[in-house]
Amino acid sequence: MGRRKGEGQKGPIPDSFLDFAAMNLKEVPRKQNVCMVSDFFYPNMGGVESHIYQLSQCLIERGHKVIIVTHAYGNRKGIRYLTNGLKVYYLPLKVMYNQSTSTTVFHSLPLLRYIFVRERITIVHSHSSFSSMAHDSLFHAKTMGLHTVFTDHSLFGFADVSSVLTNKLLTVSLCDTNHIICVSFTSKENTVLRGAVNPEIVSVIPNAVDPTDFTPNPSKRDENKITIVVVSRLVYRKGIDLLGGIIPELCQKYPDLQFLIGGEGPKRLVLEEVREKYQLHDRVRLLGALEHKDVRNVLVQGHIFLNTSLTEAFCMAIVEGASCGLQVVSTRVGGIPEVLPEDLIILCEPTVKSLCEGLEMVIAKHRAGSLPPPAAIHNRVYDRVAKEVVLPMDARLNRLMSRCGPVAGCIFSLFAVLDFLLLVFLRWLVPDSNIDIAVDATGVRGAWRRMSTPPNTCTNTGYDSNYDVARDLNHTQ
Amino acid sequence: MTEEEFSDINGNTISLDCQSHSEFCKEFTVSVPKLSLRKVMNYTCAVWLTAYAVFFATDNTNVLSAAIIVTLVGMMLHLHFVKIDHESMLIIGSLGIQISASYASGRESTSFIEMSKVKDIVINEAIYMQRVIYYLCILLKEPSDPGGVGAVVPLFQVKRSKHFAHNNRNVVIVMQYKTLYTLFSHGFTGMLTVLYLCLFQSSKPRLNCLEEVYKSCQDILGQS
Amino acid sequence: MVLKIFFPQCCNAADSGLLIGRWLPGHNSAVVLAVIHFPFIPGQVKQYLNQLQSLTQVDLTVLGSWCKPSEDQERVQSFLKDLSTIFPHERWLQLSSEKGKKRFSCLVNSRGSKVFESGDKEDKGDQVICIHYDQCKVMLSQLHPAQGGILNPQTELSELRLVFQTVSQSQALFYIDKYDEGPFKLTHWQSEGREGSILVELSKQASVPVCLVLAWLLSIWYWVCKSRILNLWPMRFVSSKLSSCIQLSHRAEHLQTISVPRKAEDHTEFMRKANIFVSFLVDVALGLLLVSWLYRENRIGQLAETLVPVADHIAEELQELLKWLMGAPAGLKMNRALDQVLGRFFLYHIHLWISYIHLLSPFIGMILWYVGLSACLGLTFALSVLSDIVALLTFHIYCFYVYGARLYCLKIYGLSSLWRLFRGKKWNVLRQRVDSCSYDLDQLFIGTLLFTILLFLLPTTALYYLVFTLLRLLVVLFQGLLHLCVDFINSFPLFAMGLRICRSYRLAAGVKFRVLEQESERPLHLLMEINPLTYSAVLQWYRTLTYSCYPKDSWGALCKKLFIGELIYPWKHKNIKTD
Repeated sequence: MGRRKGEGQKGPIPDSFLDFAAMNLKEVPRKQNVCMVSDFFYPNMGGVESHIYQLSQCLIERGHKVIIVTHAYGNRKGIRYLTNGLKVYYLPLKVMYNQSTSTTVFHSLPLLRYIFVRERITIVHSHSSFSSMAHDSLFHAKTMGLHTVFTDHSLFGFADVSSVLTNKLLTVSLCDTNHIICVSFTSKENTVLRGAVNPEIVSVIPNAVDPTDFTPNPSKRDENKITIVVVSRLVYRKGIDLLGGIIPELCQKYPDLQFLIGGEGPKRLVLEEVREKYQLHDRVRLLGALEHKDVRNVLVQGHIFLNTSLTEAFCMAIVEGASCGLQVVSTRVGGIPEVLPEDLIILCEPTVKSLCEGLEMVIAKHRAGSLPPPAAIHNRVYDRVAKEVVLPMDARLNRLMSRCGPVAGCIFSLFAVLDFLLLVFLRWLVPDSNIDIAVDATGVRGAWRRMSTPPNTCTNTGYDSNYDVARDLNHTQ
Repeated sequence: MTEEEFSDINGNTISLDCQSHSEFCKEFTVSVPKLSLRKVMNYTCAVWLTAYAVFFATDNTNVLSAAIIVTLVGMMLHLHFVKIDHESMLIIGSLGIQISASYASGRESTSFIEMSKVKDIVINEAIYMQRVIYYLCILLKEPSDPGGVGAVVPLFQVKRSKHFAHNNRNVVIVMQYKTLYTLFSHGFTGMLTVLYLCLFQSSKPRLNCLEEVYKSCQDILGQS
Repeated sequence: MVLKIFFPQCCNAADSGLLIGRWLPGHNSAVVLAVIHFPFIPGQVKQYLNQLQSLTQVDLTVLGSWCKPSEDQERVQSFLKDLSTIFPHERWLQLSSEKGKKRFSCLVNSRGSKVFESGDKEDKGDQVICIHYDQCKVMLSQLHPAQGGILNPQTELSELRLVFQTVSQSQALFYIDKYDEGPFKLTHWQSEGREGSILVELSKQASVPVCLVLAWLLSIWYWVCKSRILNLWPMRFVSSKLSSCIQLSHRAEHLQTISVPRKAEDHTEFMRKANIFVSFLVDVALGLLLVSWLYRENRIGQLAETLVPVADHIAEELQELLKWLMGAPAGLKMNRALDQVLGRFFLYHIHLWISYIHLLSPFIGMILWYVGLSACLGLTFALSVLSDIVALLTFHIYCFYVYGARLYCLKIYGLSSLWRLFRGKKWNVLRQRVDSCSYDLDQLFIGTLLFTILLFLLPTTALYYLVFTLLRLLVVLFQGLLHLCVDFINSFPLFAMGLRICRSYRLAAGVKFRVLEQESERPLHLLMEINPLTYSAVLQWYRTLTYSCYPKDSWGALCKKLFIGELIYPWKHKNIKTD
């Protein structure tokens, strides 16, 4: 927990925090075996990814056992270990669209079940509603009678077709999930509405960044010019088309203005065209995909951080920007207004005109922002969830039928029954007793530290220097 | 010389025979149960019944003769290429490690790795088909860089599967030794190449059996 | 450290004497090569060893002594111990076999230190493994490096390789006959006389002049090839397209490799030559068989008689097909005007073709008769000629295909660029990407008009393209099969395969060990056997590199090419030779 200290005072304090604080503080918490499931994890870059990683590390420090399950990225298949023996399963599932796997509801059951059994998982924690793997694993975990937690990282509309479908899916997968975590109050509202869930089981735990990683360094700035930094994936959701409108307008007005844009995506073409059309090659620099460790080096070069997202549940990027001492200008969408206090951020409407006005307003510089430590709250959620009863099959079916409407309810009830039958079949095919129990490698009690006993599982040292890896743990010699 | 019963990942019984020829020379043999008559009968019956059904529908006697040929040829191929009777690993301190598999038809495939190329023996885990399994493997030295790990040779391994990832330039050997793709990744960049050689191809013993072999191997490796 | 002694099996029964062999540098192991029997004069032994050393480039030394069970064993043993003072050494091996026991025991005597027994459990510093090997097989076998690639002499000198090298280099040692009147007697592997050697020697003698004659003939051939008439553009173009010409030059290259009168430098070159030679012989033999079959009972004439009607028949079928296409093929409604134009165009072509065939028909028999003779040059050449004949006889199909493909390709290109115009985009040639671009109203109007026209005419062209592509693919498939056969005969390493079958130890992938029965108080005895290369590895190692006939593109790329209407050719291309 030491890594997250000292951010806590300024940000909004979530009410659920107080709820939990009132609960049994005296009781010694049980150690849980947590399995994080999401389609999004390193080497993919983004807010969800770093959230999962940091959260896992904090939970390991607290003595829980944590593993992460994600899909294979290119050649990165199989099993790897990160810092503190955090085990990551890269499952060989087909990626369909936008790094999320295709779902057939059932095909991931055998592997997930094998992993849950061999790692003695007690809680399954899924992340991001875009990730079909997360939904699948929730579904299977419920069938297997495990406790489930879901973290929603994004906002959704209610109007277009894809939203309607995703919302239905969310309703189905959330209706019997034990607990749900949202990153902001807006996100909570959104999730409660979309998922038709009881607001009582939804907590708000804002994300946080490690302020020691993002420290200001004004000496790197070029004081002759004003630099605007944009760090985001270059996709539609992040409002890159708005950015393409802002750049020529401001560049005409202010000859000493320059843009520094980090990130990669399909909308990169828009920016390149703008740059060529207005001859701005010396003033708009496109840096391409950034690794997480390089983000700070880019941030400290600027004066102003610009975020043009069209929809956003939390937005880690603006916290990082503010933490590096940049003035943040952002669109007023989703949960962004909750993230930073008003003296750190200037909010505009998501239009070119409003954003330009906002940017023009910006002169002064501000101090770094801060937020409460999230891992403590996460921890309490697990303890609470572990005490709940997992619904038996018939209750689950009833709930599905009653909550999700007649058509989808029937269909998904059928799915649930089929899933259960498949599980029974798998249990007959590969009995639990035939599955080797994995050696617990996480944390201080893990195999990595047990040097006194012969190291009999000591391989797969896929340590990543990027994730500040403890090389001394490597004992494949 | 000891013989112990273990089970493989499918729950079938296999026996590990550990023969100690000398202080620095040990032989481990994993024996798989023989082909059961019932299984053969079942498969044969299945094929012939289908053939008879087709014959009944089409009135073509060629189907029956084809079924007989298919059964015979299939069984022969199975015995010669697939069904393994026992697999063994002979570790001789300071000389090398020999791994061999003998098939039900009597065919034997052997390969020998000199000790100067062996770096270590470890237990690794990998995703195989719809499972996550442990396997024993040999780490080989990179010829150009004696310090680093060059390759990994799995022992007691499993059959080829598309689910095993590999992306190394030692594929030639991988194929030569009838081995498997398994993932062993070193670092973010994946720069180190890896090589797998398998022993006990079809036996796939469970972790407790692997640990047994692993400890004995480490004893011998530690001596030399 | 464990001391390894490589001991030849044939010396197990030898009389007592001195062990001759080599300490492997950098490894704690010794290779025993032979046993010198009593009586001998130590000075002579030293002299003899020096002589052998200069001959074989192996630093042979006296390793120790060998003691056979006999009545006065004690005496012999003490004598042998005394011998150790005569010969300079670091360590002195004392191997002695006893009665009633199968395996010998071993004593290692380091200079200036105590004598200790191998079975001694307390002294872990020096344990002994005795590895028995078959001297003949190890000498003759060629150890292949494990990883595919060329053996690097500096880095790859592992222990086993050193053993193999030592044994094969000291070949000269083994040609000393047991019964020769030498200064002393040796036990080692004996070459079994030279019974077949007269023939071998004769052929060796004969090979040099034969090679010279071949080389001279080849030089004439190359001179003819270089002459000016053959180097004119059309000739060169045609000959580069005809597979028979390619096969001819390929064979000439092979012959040139064989006809070098020098001795092969290393194993790889020798195997290469032998493989080429054997496959050439087999090829010619098959070709002669074919000739003898063809020219019996006037089969050539029959062939010629059937050929013309077949070509006629194909042309007629094509005409039928075209007429079908000109109507409403498979119930599809085509653009009638374009359909008629295309159909008439192709019909006229077929008409031309038929008249050409009829013009040629009186001569076809004669042409075939002479062409058939070319099978004497080998089956591969005959197959190549067949492939060429097929290519010539289906020239009209090729033409149709090219016309269809070009037309189709043009349309696809037009459509794709107009589609971009439709969406307000354009292809940026400079940056190789699609840019957005604002068009005028006129431009958009014309573009849309053209797009519509092209789109509605596309099905008609696509249909013609489809039909002729299918025909073309048939021809290409047939030619590809022929080329596959030719390539197989050219590259199959017959000699290496034969060697693998008859003398499997000659090509070693490695070694395998067997533990011999264990007796207490005896060192560990292992039997080293040679692990032959697998058949697939033999193929991989010794395949003669040739013009590959595997498809240049993957299946996906091929389909894409077909879809956008690029021309495809038979799958024969010159690949870069990589050794």
